[in-house]
Amino acid sequence: MVDRKAIMNIAKLFMDESETDDVTEQMDNIIQFANEIQNVDVKGSDFDNINGLVNVLRSDEVTNSVDRELILKNANDTKDGYFCIKKSK
Amino acid sequence: MKYELVCGLETHVELSTKTKIFCGCRSHFGSEPNTNCCPICIGLPGTLPKLNKEVVRYAIMAGLATHCEINLISKMDRKNYVYPDLPKAYQISQYDLPLCKNGYVELESGKKIRINRIHIEEDAGKLVHKGQDVLIDYNRGGVPLIEIVTHPDISSSDEAKEYIEKLQSIMRYIDVSDCKMQEGSMRCDVNISVRHEGETKLGVRTEIKNMNSITFITKAIDYETERQIDAIQSGGEIYQETLRYSEETNSTESMRNKENANDYRYFGEPDLITIKTNKEDLEKYKTQLPEFADGRCKRYVNDYDISKSDAKLLVKYKKVSDFFEKSIKGIDKPKTVSNLILGVIFRYIENESDKQEFNIKVLPEDLNKLVLLMQENKININLAKKALGQMMETGKKVSEVIPDDYLQEISGEEIKEICKKVIKSNDSAVKDYLSGKDKALKFLLGQVMKETKGKADAKFIEKILAGEIKNA
Amino acid sequence: MLNGRNMTSSKSVIKNIHDKLISKNISCKELTEKYFKKINESNLNAYVKLSEDTAYKTAEKVDKKIASGEKISPLEGIPMTLKDNISTDGIETTCCSKMLKGYVPIYDATVWKLLKNQNAVLLGKANMDEFAMGSSCETSCFGASFNPHNLSYVPGGSSGGAAAAVCGNIAAFGLGSDTGGSIRQPAGFCGIVGLKPTYGSVSRYGLIAYASSFDQIGPITQTVEDTAMVFDAISKYDPMDSTSNPNINFDTFSHLEDDVKGVKMGVPNQYFDGIDEEVKQSIEKAVKVYKSMGIEVEYFDLPELRYSLPVYYILACAEASSNLGRFDGIRYGYQTKNYSSIDEMICKTRSEGFGKEVQRRILLGTYVLSSGYYDAYYKKAQILRGTIVEAFKKAFDKYDVLLAPTSPTTAFKLNYTSKDPVKTYLMDICTVPINIAGLPSVALPCGMDSKGLPIGMQILGKAFSEQTILNVAYQYEVFTDYSAFHRVDMGVKL
Repeated sequence: MVDRKAIMNIAKLFMDESETDDVTEQMDNIIQFANEIQNVDVKGSDFDNINGLVNVLRSDEVTNSVDRELILKNANDTKDGYFCIKKSK
Repeated sequence: MKYELVCGLETHVELSTKTKIFCGCRSHFGSEPNTNCCPICIGLPGTLPKLNKEVVRYAIMAGLATHCEINLISKMDRKNYVYPDLPKAYQISQYDLPLCKNGYVELESGKKIRINRIHIEEDAGKLVHKGQDVLIDYNRGGVPLIEIVTHPDISSSDEAKEYIEKLQSIMRYIDVSDCKMQEGSMRCDVNISVRHEGETKLGVRTEIKNMNSITFITKAIDYETERQIDAIQSGGEIYQETLRYSEETNSTESMRNKENANDYRYFGEPDLITIKTNKEDLEKYKTQLPEFADGRCKRYVNDYDISKSDAKLLVKYKKVSDFFEKSIKGIDKPKTVSNLILGVIFRYIENESDKQEFNIKVLPEDLNKLVLLMQENKININLAKKALGQMMETGKKVSEVIPDDYLQEISGEEIKEICKKVIKSNDSAVKDYLSGKDKALKFLLGQVMKETKGKADAKFIEKILAGEIKNA
Repeated sequence: MLNGRNMTSSKSVIKNIHDKLISKNISCKELTEKYFKKINESNLNAYVKLSEDTAYKTAEKVDKKIASGEKISPLEGIPMTLKDNISTDGIETTCCSKMLKGYVPIYDATVWKLLKNQNAVLLGKANMDEFAMGSSCETSCFGASFNPHNLSYVPGGSSGGAAAAVCGNIAAFGLGSDTGGSIRQPAGFCGIVGLKPTYGSVSRYGLIAYASSFDQIGPITQTVEDTAMVFDAISKYDPMDSTSNPNINFDTFSHLEDDVKGVKMGVPNQYFDGIDEEVKQSIEKAVKVYKSMGIEVEYFDLPELRYSLPVYYILACAEASSNLGRFDGIRYGYQTKNYSSIDEMICKTRSEGFGKEVQRRILLGTYVLSSGYYDAYYKKAQILRGTIVEAFKKAFDKYDVLLAPTSPTTAFKLNYTSKDPVKTYLMDICTVPINIAGLPSVALPCGMDSKGLPIGMQILGKAFSEQTILNVAYQYEVFTDYSAFHRVDMGVKL
């Protein structure tokens, strides 16, 4: 059994006990499904980098920043050029 | 029973690259809120990071300067946690393959504070609490950082102070950061535990987060050490927790305990590519390392006959030390140059930050010219000081503050003649001198100085005067 | 004549429109109007946002160029659609999630920039499963899209809207994204063509990430020729994407007719475990067709494929849990109405803004990365990913291309899978292996089942062998009269 509450807390999806069941109904099934690889005897090293490139770097050159108006355009609240969050609503 | 402190430091140093770590926005401090931002550094959906080449080089330089091994294969990882100052909800950092590992910083006592690792990562934005509002400025978001993590080798607040100052000096010497703690470009997390003296096992540690003043770091370490010892001695227990230090009350308070510790769920950053460093580049970087403060200090004391305390002042900031080294070309007594820098130039520089910048109106070539004039006995120290002061204030050149006629040769013969003239016209002073009043000679000296317009050396004049009076 | 090639027998939709435009048979404005008219009449729910303003502005530009006798490029003036997870400056981009309703990007995805520069006419944004998580297009907050072949069936997913639009002739082509089959499976369900390019062939910059190390953008079109044309236009090195390959330079369309004789084709037996008999028979028929063209075909075992589904779901969900952390109600998107602390605001915003399937995948991803479980799940899956990569490498030492079905069944009925997520995951068995290995695969129709629904197959290739797989697919298109099973009688007729 998975500690659903703990996982929901980490994922910032937790609302209250009554709502968790609905979402996590299938969690155990899904994890069962992921468990398929548990018994596989794996050899080999950790895999990273799907395309084999190395050192993809940019040079330290300034590109223009975007107008603040645009940066703030999609925010729910702004104030004096800042993003703003009300502490409660 | 005696207790000892076991302390380790995690130091965040903002790198002074022109741009941020993953986008081309300026990493400049002090801009209007959210004006150094773009879709990438505010984490708009769909944007991707692109690693700044200079960040990698700076971090490797920092590693080499602190005797680290460099991981030739390194990679970036995601450190996941949700907080409003972190626009992607993960910080791109390094987990299992940091760029540098296993280095040290040596204290004056010869003790080595071992460095476990140095990795690169991005800074978060800044939150401003204002009444019912939390305001967010993402200008700092994405500014490149290196995190320098020590082993728990520090055993006093003094050692912590010395380590941090050494680290500051080293980072400034390789020019990767200005390390200004008051601006937040250098910040420390302090890990503290205590144990009985002689015990080898580590005690339970607490971590004080985000300290940005050396004074308060030492105070916090002292306070927290006391607190832990008191707690143990009164039969209590130390809990692993994260603390905040309050400057007002000089005490620590809990931010979160072990149970509430973040689960960062590190994993390899799929949007970035393996960083590979080749040995040729490393060799090249090694040749770019400067002579550090300790080495220069030793050399100044041994070769230039400068006192250790003066030498330390000279090397504290690389720009001052570089200025000194450029000013002493062809100078017999570099100590004179040192005295002029510390005695005159420093009088015009009020704070440490300005010493660090050392953005002064006098060029090292100017100071060099001035001291050469002294060396050739064309001017004396008083005039040199006065001239240097004027140069500092006005930015004028040597030739502008010392009139031409001063710079004309004045021969020993001429000085002799002037001395004779002064002796002739100051009978009473001569008499006073002969009757044993040494002060009278100073008066005569002053007269000669006036006549020679300060071009002659005072000791030389005194010798001539004394001789002439005897001969008269 | 396009690129000097004789295409009189071409079935290409793009080429047909291009010819009509340059022969002044129809103006770009009229063409655009036609498409919008049919879109508005359509009951496919393929579009979630129309972009008339930009479309007509572009059309006007193209008409001026044509009127002044200027040459136009192949995609110029072609009405098309983008999956709604591709960022479009000034045009709402929602990933079909309540979380992003009202979000208007301030920058263009690189693929859209490339098409925009060619004056492609964006009709609107296409429906999809929420955040590309799903294979039926039913998790969209705008409601499901429908399969043009039969409206009570799903068009597949997650790029279901784009597939339905292309199949239903209300877009000449579309761009989708494929993380575990989201281009190929809907292409298969709708009887059209879709390409999942090699990881690194097409820039991901501006694609709202589901699983970064799997995601690729690719074309969804009616014909292989169209796919080749669109792929050539979007497969450019992009310095904004660190995983973009700097050496790519594709011109697949010009070489589409290259001979495929002597190509060695492998058919992995594992793809046929538990699949529909009708699908199996269609693939076997395709094998015969290929053999008749002088292609060597061989069945063989690729046992490592059995790890594919858990490996895919563990790794993709792990990356998704991280990628979707940024939706916190602060900088963009949905924010909950009432809360008493910032932490509560974030939690409520996320649990109200994300649909159930998205939340499930975030939770799975969080779980497999959390301390104590990382080694058992994430790390193990990473190692197995390497095993699968190696297995494909070995297979491609022997074969130039592989042939496989795009899914175990044809399109399923609406509401068929929504109750049981694991059942849905199992439907991805045919498509995910390629994403795990970062390889290219093109899906194309190969038959119809007894219900009158298309059957899809896919040609898999080595990294950056898009030319080869498109050539092999093209030959099938040329020598098989599959127009019978991939055309539907609706939408724009020219």
